[in-house]
Amino acid sequence: MRSDPTAGHPARRRFTEGRATSRPQQIPGGPSEASLRRAAVAGDRTDGQRRKALAAAAEPSIDPADRLTALPDDARRRILGFLPAQDAVRTCVLARHWCHLWKSASLAFCLACASAVMRSLQSAGRSSWNLWAVCCKPEETRHWRRVSFFSMIRRWQRALHEPLDLSCCDVQGPELSDSFVDFCSCLALEHLEIDHCLLPSVNRISSQSLKSLSIIGCCSFGSTFRTQLHSPNLILLRMESIMGRVPILERMLSLVEAVVQINSTNDTCECEDGDYFGNCSFEECDGCYGVADDTDNCVLLQSLSQAKKLVLLANIEMIIFRRDLKWCPIFSNLKNLVLNEYWCVPGDLSALACILQHSPVLEKLTLQLFCKGPKSKVHIKGSPDPAKRSTAISEHLKIVEVKCEVLDEKIQNVLEFLSKLNIYSYKFHFEGSVEGLE
Amino acid sequence: MASAGSGDEKAAAAAMITLISSDNEKFEVTEATATLSQTIRHMIEDGCTDGGVPLPNVTSKILARVIEYCKKHATAAAGEEGSSSSFSDAAFLEVDRAFLEELEEFDDAFLEVDRATLFDLILAANYLDIKGLLNLTCQKVADSVKGKTPEQIREMYNIVNDLTPEEEAEIRRETQWAFE
Repeated sequence: MRSDPTAGHPARRRFTEGRATSRPQQIPGGPSEASLRRAAVAGDRTDGQRRKALAAAAEPSIDPADRLTALPDDARRRILGFLPAQDAVRTCVLARHWCHLWKSASLAFCLACASAVMRSLQSAGRSSWNLWAVCCKPEETRHWRRVSFFSMIRRWQRALHEPLDLSCCDVQGPELSDSFVDFCSCLALEHLEIDHCLLPSVNRISSQSLKSLSIIGCCSFGSTFRTQLHSPNLILLRMESIMGRVPILERMLSLVEAVVQINSTNDTCECEDGDYFGNCSFEECDGCYGVADDTDNCVLLQSLSQAKKLVLLANIEMIIFRRDLKWCPIFSNLKNLVLNEYWCVPGDLSALACILQHSPVLEKLTLQLFCKGPKSKVHIKGSPDPAKRSTAISEHLKIVEVKCEVLDEKIQNVLEFLSKLNIYSYKFHFEGSVEGLE
Repeated sequence: MASAGSGDEKAAAAAMITLISSDNEKFEVTEATATLSQTIRHMIEDGCTDGGVPLPNVTSKILARVIEYCKKHATAAAGEEGSSSSFSDAAFLEVDRAFLEELEEFDDAFLEVDRATLFDLILAANYLDIKGLLNLTCQKVADSVKGKTPEQIREMYNIVNDLTPEEEAEIRRETQWAFE
């Protein structure tokens, strides 16, 4: 996806990518629509002109200097898709070839104009518009607090007299209420992205139908309780940069892949004597004891235990993963595991040891230590010694990758730990000049 | 980058494809570069690229630019392979920012073309089905009309208004909210 160059419009870029990858192309119209329109144009002419027009059916009547209108419909729709919705709709008066194009483009409308959009589509007698994205400006959030997702959709569907394609939905920006995020009545919804939203009073997000869920862009949850996430049929989960308390996951037996990245939430212990296991000696610690009846709950790991691939990243002071290890489940399907320095606190690698011990079929382990992302300066590949396999790791483990910026004491510490498991590093990649061992 | 394992990867990507422009100029490109085009990818899969791929809709001038784009972006795509999976990869795990920035700079410079070339690039990207290039070029056009009135857009792009005043008034009534 890196090749997508629509930089400067991150939100728009995401929409476009989402569509390109996971959403079916639903652009109605096409040639038949174009030929209909051509016929309509021909209707305004004399007989002779009409014959000529029909003969030159492939050449719609566009000024040769007008290269924009002459572009294929798909390309023009794409251009409209990069415009703010109102700008895109306004192209309808440019010329005959533009009248209906916006209706089949993928536009992100804001809620405030949704009913007006519906009326326009209705009076045009055609409704080829699908709900790609619901986005909302911050000043419109008051509309959203009162509305439930389902009732909004029902209203839109009534206005349209036909079902909308509701399998994908992006919600951007607004403050959401409990009723909004109750998706249980919305059985077609399969892909949901919640981006930059406020959910401070949401007790439960629920859906039976969701297959993929992304909660990204610093979504903010309540700080004194945990939001429950009930989505039993989820296959892909992505939770990134959330604020407030980490939501508690309910069972997800179909989960295949999860990316959970937690940074600076309320679930952080800042006590000096703490070891970040969520049981520090300071009773007033908001990080460890700030949620009532919480210390006996496995928040994340239990529900992630069915996944084949897990990416679990956090800041070192975050307590949830480590506290969850008390109830550490067996990750019976886990083949690919990506962890960061959270799991390798200097002097205490027990968290890493524990999760390895509980992953019996693990094939690949990646440790991204004190570096941002997978492209680090130092890249160490190792593999277990087949002759002397440690019983503390999966017998299927083939590759262990360590990515870091410098080979310092902290990294050495991890390498020593790995060598005790008879995992030896045999290949080093360096980018630029890095001092270190070899 | 001194790496022990990259040699075989290079060997695997070395298969060459010949592209032939409408004015009969031949361009040799690697398969990795060519397959940024879905159209060509399908031709390769169907095994119809022996003797070169004729592209009767694309002039040599435009094809050279398209290849320049694909070469740059193919390197970018190759760097991501390996660690990739269904949805976590590049979109989420932070990728090499410096490289991304370089790519953005390349794209910006790439778009410094006159309007006729821009439209030719859109047509070529559309025909060859190169999603990244199509988005890049369409976005450039979109940026140029953003915030403009219909009258301004008509003037910019020589669009002749063939709607009768009555028709235009009717359409404006239907979509009045967009003009407020």
